Amino acid sequence: MSIPIYTYDAVIVGAGLAGCAAARELQNAGKKVAVITKLHPLRSHSGAAQGGINAAFSDEDSVELHEFDTVKGSDYLADQDAVEFMCKNAPETIRWAEKMGAAFSRKPDGKIAQRPFGGQSSPRACFAKDRTGLTLLQTVYEQAYRVGVKFWDEWYAADIIYKDGKVSGVVAFNIRDMQVAIFNAKTVMFATGGYARAYKINSNAHANTGDGLSIVARHGLPLEDMEFVQFHPSGLSGNGVLISEAARGEGGRLYNAKGERFMEKYAPNALELASRDVVARAILNEIREGRGVGPRKDAVYLDVTHLGKDLIMNKLPELRELAMTFLGLDMIKEPILISATAHYSMGGIPVDIDGHARKNNKEFIEGFYAAGECSCVSVHGANRLGANSVLEALLFGRFVGKTMLKDLESIELRKAVQEDAATALKEIEFLLNNNGNESVPALREELQQCMTANAGAFRTKESLQIAVDTVKELRKRFKNVRLRDKSKLFNTELQEALEFGHMLDYSLFIVESAIAREESRGAHYREDFQNRDDENFLKHTMAYMDKDGNISLDYMDVVLGKHELRERNY
Amino acid sequence: MSTEHKITTQKVNFKVFRFNADEDYLPYYENYDMEVTSEEVVLDILNRIKWDHDGSFSYRRSCRHGICGACAIKVNGRSTLACKESMNDMVALFGKELVIEPLSIKRAVKDMVIDKADFWEKHDAITPYLVAEIDENPTTENLVSPKDAQKLDEADLCIQCGACHYACPVVEINEDFFGPAAFAAAYRFEADVRDNSESRLKDVNEERQGVWDCVKCFECAQVCPKDIDPIGKITKLHQMAFQEGVANNNVAVRHAVGFKKSIVKNGVLDEGGLVLYSEGPAIVKHLPVAFKMFTKGKIVPPWGITKSENLDEIQKLVKSSSTAKF
Repeated sequence: MSIPIYTYDAVIVGAGLAGCAAARELQNAGKKVAVITKLHPLRSHSGAAQGGINAAFSDEDSVELHEFDTVKGSDYLADQDAVEFMCKNAPETIRWAEKMGAAFSRKPDGKIAQRPFGGQSSPRACFAKDRTGLTLLQTVYEQAYRVGVKFWDEWYAADIIYKDGKVSGVVAFNIRDMQVAIFNAKTVMFATGGYARAYKINSNAHANTGDGLSIVARHGLPLEDMEFVQFHPSGLSGNGVLISEAARGEGGRLYNAKGERFMEKYAPNALELASRDVVARAILNEIREGRGVGPRKDAVYLDVTHLGKDLIMNKLPELRELAMTFLGLDMIKEPILISATAHYSMGGIPVDIDGHARKNNKEFIEGFYAAGECSCVSVHGANRLGANSVLEALLFGRFVGKTMLKDLESIELRKAVQEDAATALKEIEFLLNNNGNESVPALREELQQCMTANAGAFRTKESLQIAVDTVKELRKRFKNVRLRDKSKLFNTELQEALEFGHMLDYSLFIVESAIAREESRGAHYREDFQNRDDENFLKHTMAYMDKDGNISLDYMDVVLGKHELRERNY
Repeated sequence: MSTEHKITTQKVNFKVFRFNADEDYLPYYENYDMEVTSEEVVLDILNRIKWDHDGSFSYRRSCRHGICGACAIKVNGRSTLACKESMNDMVALFGKELVIEPLSIKRAVKDMVIDKADFWEKHDAITPYLVAEIDENPTTENLVSPKDAQKLDEADLCIQCGACHYACPVVEINEDFFGPAAFAAAYRFEADVRDNSESRLKDVNEERQGVWDCVKCFECAQVCPKDIDPIGKITKLHQMAFQEGVANNNVAVRHAVGFKKSIVKNGVLDEGGLVLYSEGPAIVKHLPVAFKMFTKGKIVPPWGITKSENLDEIQKLVKSSSTAKF
């Protein structure tokens, strides 16, 4: 049976903030755009962002201060040219979203309201109650829909067409009936989200499985800084569902089993609003030293009762609902139970400021772009500041759309052929027909447990070696998998198997990159190398996977700038 | 400071709707007995069925904390967002025998997965975006007072889960009806001071598809997992139609207008007069019923209405509060 080939100027995978923003930009300029998403666009994980989006536009704030906070937060691993670009364009980007309809909370004078967030020198996070991502996602999707972007929803992107340094399309299938199609295009953009689901306790959506990363890596292309995974300080005890930093931004306090406000020990100045890596490690340290609370003693208290009912209902209503649903605790009346949860991926597909994906330290891939959490620009370096992620996705998504528009003038379409779908078809065929005795849920559970235990907020050479060995072992066992569902109709078991295959591959990138980085920087904390080592490790990891699945590492210089290296204290 | 927080478990029986449109002639129900903990939500049960019992069990899900809207299903006939409904609450409400079904059985594709095309078509029909000139390089934002911002009345929190749409009895029998979710979306933009649409409010006022066909059963408000109160938004769209002067001259609208006229005239409701005003010449079809009601003393003729003693005051109140243009 022949596979249909659809031709577009631009094909974008992922319909979150970055994907929708780029698509609108291109379609608005008269280009033919397709967005492929395995969900409905409005289900994208951008919508889960709660607390805010940063822009320095209050009188007390400045773009330079936003840059400084971001660079310091990144533990100096961020590329300062990219940070400057982001901070400079943040005010316009947020106002653009407002003009398109975003329902921001307002100050009495009618301007967009802002709240304090961790690691920020000034209240800078613009917000829509505690559902900032939702209003932004709705807005960008609505306006992309308005200009006529074609959304292919509930389609699963399985592969890119990559040959001779050039990407010319995407191979995808319809989840509803498994019809495979080739999307042939001059330009392809990935906006496929991050990889924190590799961890057992994480805050990410089920669908946010980071497939895009290993789709790229399987072609021998690099992934950057994969060892940097952010552990958010406040996930609900037991399941890791996020309680936004807004809870601490508005004044929430952390207490251990002895009733001590323990952040006084770890960050005497910033307290609960130190950067996320600092607070997350403090919480985990309290727990492992026996001062945890809750039925499993695996949590600390987050207390907002002193803020009063009005403030909580007005500014944190969703958070209150979450704690009621999952813990049965009402934060108006009592403290809730939280602990660190794998949350955000600083690493990803290496790109320059314009979104061009890198083939290596020096060369770029023609026709291939990335933005949002799946990309590494790098504006977050070793640790992202709160309310910078939605900013990055929206801002770079939009600007990468502009880059693609410009590049379309000079890129030639390479016509797709049926064989371009061969790898994807083979992978699907294997999973549907393989008759082994392993199950995906069981293997995934082992992987996630292992990653949380050995490649989490605290790491050592030994623990990471266990993780490397486990991932390799699980990869072998995955070859012996068996699916029960052989149907072509909405086969979500097949989809989970494909996603797990990707998870195995990028997990190896995380642990191999982490074991080689013998220092502690931002979210990457090595108990056997507790200090930052600028002499040897002020550089980006560039990791490659060969045909046999082995990882090799290279490094790339960090772009420094006006913000000089300093010790990082909060 | 200390909160005593215990995890409890209980045994629950699940009767789960199964169907594969490609393979099954008819749907069937599968039984699962499970130990359920107080920490679990309905989605955890769906996951356990898929991961521990039968990999082919299919449902939509993503965010797992009530913000993406993918996982709405029905539990014991009630629309439920699976990731936001705690099992403890479900058992308290329905007991230990729970029936898990898709939102709409007649639209079932596979297990919990339904064909939601009608839902999205209705959503698309209400001009679901802010109609405004977009300044691509703004240096300032629109100024919106907190009071104006509040006019959205949480309609922007709707996550398009479809719980209300497939609980709505009018959606079930009238395929043109936009449904409560689409109306909440229409209200979200109509209430936005930045919106300039000239067609949306008219569209949601058309007969059959529009707000006038709502039967006001409040089912949508009951099942909404985000407390959007769609029926409240429908009521506000009614009011907006009069305020903006776009209400059509149809029986439903005349019914509302006739109400007001009757109150202004008599201070009390003249039911016979109201029917005459709403239906016009079509009132003849009601004559047999009217005659019977009249003979039993259920209605009085228009000339027999006793006007309110405080008619003056009532008329002043109506005058000062009404913004209707009709």
